Amino acid sequence: MVELTSVSGAFTLLSSDMNAWLYLLPGLAIGLIFGAMPGISITMAMAFALPATLYMDFLPAIVFLTAIYTGAGFGGSVPAVLMGIPGTSSAVATTFDGYPMARKGQHSEALGVALASSVIGCLASYVILFVLIVPISGVVLKLGPLEMFAVAVWGMLLLGSLAGTHMSRGLLAGTFGVLLGTVGMNTAGFVRGTMGIPWLLDGVPQIPAMMGLLAASQLIGLINTTYLIADEASRKISFKKILGGVQHTFRYPTIIFRGSLIGVIVGAIPGVGSSISNLLSYSETKRNASDGDTFGQGNPKGVIAAEAANSSSEGGAMATMLALGIPGGGATAILLAAFAMHNIVGGPSFIANNKDIVYAVIFSNFAQAMLLFVVGLGFVYVAGYVVRVPLRFLIPSVLVVSTFGAYAIEGSSAGPITLWVFSVLGWAMVRYGYPVAATVVGLLLGSLLEGNLLRTNQISGGDFIGYGLERPWALLIFALMLGSILLQAISKRRRAKVAALSAAQ
Amino acid sequence: MTSTFSRRTILKASAGGVAFAALASPSILRAQNAYPDRPINVVVPFDTGGYNDRLARAFAPFLQQQLGQPLTIINRGGAGALLGHTFFLQQPDDGYTILCTSAAPYLPLNILTQDASFKLEDFYMVNLPSQDYTLMATSAGSDIKSVQDFISRLKADPSSLSVGLQPASADLVNFHILCSANEIEVDAVRVVTYDGGGPARNAVAGGVVDVGFVGGEGFLPLAEQIRPLLTFDTRKRDNWDGAIVTDVLGADADFVVGSQRGWGLHGSMQTSNPEVFKTLVGAIEAASKDPAAIEALKNQQLATDWYGPEESNQMLARTAKVMEQYLDLLKGN
Repeated sequence: MVELTSVSGAFTLLSSDMNAWLYLLPGLAIGLIFGAMPGISITMAMAFALPATLYMDFLPAIVFLTAIYTGAGFGGSVPAVLMGIPGTSSAVATTFDGYPMARKGQHSEALGVALASSVIGCLASYVILFVLIVPISGVVLKLGPLEMFAVAVWGMLLLGSLAGTHMSRGLLAGTFGVLLGTVGMNTAGFVRGTMGIPWLLDGVPQIPAMMGLLAASQLIGLINTTYLIADEASRKISFKKILGGVQHTFRYPTIIFRGSLIGVIVGAIPGVGSSISNLLSYSETKRNASDGDTFGQGNPKGVIAAEAANSSSEGGAMATMLALGIPGGGATAILLAAFAMHNIVGGPSFIANNKDIVYAVIFSNFAQAMLLFVVGLGFVYVAGYVVRVPLRFLIPSVLVVSTFGAYAIEGSSAGPITLWVFSVLGWAMVRYGYPVAATVVGLLLGSLLEGNLLRTNQISGGDFIGYGLERPWALLIFALMLGSILLQAISKRRRAKVAALSAAQ
Repeated sequence: MTSTFSRRTILKASAGGVAFAALASPSILRAQNAYPDRPINVVVPFDTGGYNDRLARAFAPFLQQQLGQPLTIINRGGAGALLGHTFFLQQPDDGYTILCTSAAPYLPLNILTQDASFKLEDFYMVNLPSQDYTLMATSAGSDIKSVQDFISRLKADPSSLSVGLQPASADLVNFHILCSANEIEVDAVRVVTYDGGGPARNAVAGGVVDVGFVGGEGFLPLAEQIRPLLTFDTRKRDNWDGAIVTDVLGADADFVVGSQRGWGLHGSMQTSNPEVFKTLVGAIEAASKDPAAIEALKNQQLATDWYGPEESNQMLARTAKVMEQYLDLLKGN
């Protein structure tokens, strides 16, 4: 599966063109900064940089853009941890445990954990890509609506974990989110729930809605608090603690491996990607963890699961792009445009004829991941100072930046309006004990769920079971899902037994 | 009028960061002189990465050279280009905002099915170099070998094959035309609807659907994974194998052309700013004929052919008329 001649060719290519390495650092820095600004997506950061790459050679251009991709992928996690605002939609699950950790005064550790798991996840994904690029690409295109529906259902299982004390409220909030996710024109051309507002034809703007629900609602609730972290002594920014977080990450190789595997596979599926993979990985990790009950209250395992999955999705998306010439999402679409600018068309023939370039891209991504660790350490150290800003300054500034971000991503006042509406909604939900995260998950998965269920119905002519039996991959996904639930039930009972025994003694 | 433009620019700049600021803010400081004396915005009513976005970004350096001012691409995707088209018309017709869009089918669709607040005449197409067409294709490994094969199978059992396409598209109309010409019971065919050309093509290439009716130009990168069966045009396009529509439906075949993409201006500019209008049309013509531009765009599989305003507007009007005939199909779902 790995051709050694091409590998050595890749090394020659990379060592002969020193220019390529020059762009690594600025690329990562641009990515980190853009990714960390709420509302600026990975795609936007890359689109801004695209024109500049026209004047570079092919390899430096691709290295520069993928460096931004890598940087922005992690950048989104910084506000997710520090303020509970996912900088990009792929950092939603990071907020679940990262933000509670920060509130407890473990912000340095949380950032260290996030950085380390991102770097390892990214490395792991490119290792998997390096070995499996051809087989992965063979499967990806064969995934039909039923398989995608199965992935979406798997994501919905997360609702159970997010529900908190009242399962019924969690399900209600999740259902509400799914309903919100189906607003607009569906895949068959029907328009629902837009109230005659043209902006809603493409659905509720996801990122502003998410920022409003998760972040603004939290911030409004914090209005009477003076600092993000109550205990003054914990407000310190400690390099040692960041490194402690990094070290802590290495204790959970299984979580990282599972997250990376989920990330690569889900990231490789066009149209799904990192915003789903981090949710899946979080939910799987929580279900299988012995201390699953403490997830959501600042358990570093949750951060590891989310970060390993969202950063490894990059490798998966790159596999699909390189092997098939198909963009899985916005970021890879920009990369393909950069390919086209240099007269290179992705796809099977590209891989067959240019293995050395493919491997060079993969190797430069190894280097990026390593470098991200160094640059990221500096970045999170500086960003950590946010916790020392009094909330009376922090809350308004974050709200203003979020409003700008919401405007930037939608390009019209639809963004800020959505942000405000959902902030109020989110605040009210928190006030009355409904989990906002469940609504966010529903919103993210709603259209995926509905569109693919509808297409399954169309393609099978209504015969779901007959069609399902012809789709081995879908059956496999459903079987894995059921297995995971069963396993959880069994281990929960076993733990309960052990606990009862020890209590009796 | 200019003040709304500047305020938007400032807002966008502060939101979008340094990159935008560097391009856009000097415009506020400069006085009004001979056109163009500040950067020009190009509205693309689709998100980044699509054909129009790629076309705008690839063509911009050459048009920039002709106009002597930088171009800023503004993506205003959403609601089948309705939002972007409306936004474009809301900008002053002073030549500082131009449009790069899939005029057909989106302008007629906005007007016919979405109650758009504009008319076709509000837009003036300078050039529509990209003339897409529906390609009927199946996956490379499929056992469907030809159009005749497809037709005979559906005649025997209309539910035997699944067909992937986009709702409210030229492709849908062409599919219906092919079916009704061959007495296939179209409602019984398993039609699978996709949100965009990309996903529909992926489904074809992966064999998820048996046959797809999708815009042909987008199939080029997937050429090795599909088998073309029928091109909905009167001539062969992009060297696809398989039949052309006149082989199957006769010389006077009725069909709808695909996306017609290119450059547009405010229709009102012809009378309100005739000088600026002439400069812009001339610049787009010169850039389209620039050998360097033709070479660069050809390499990216983008079109630069010069048809000129007269022919472009006529082509668009013709398409709008044909689409009106199939209004029920485009509207009803």
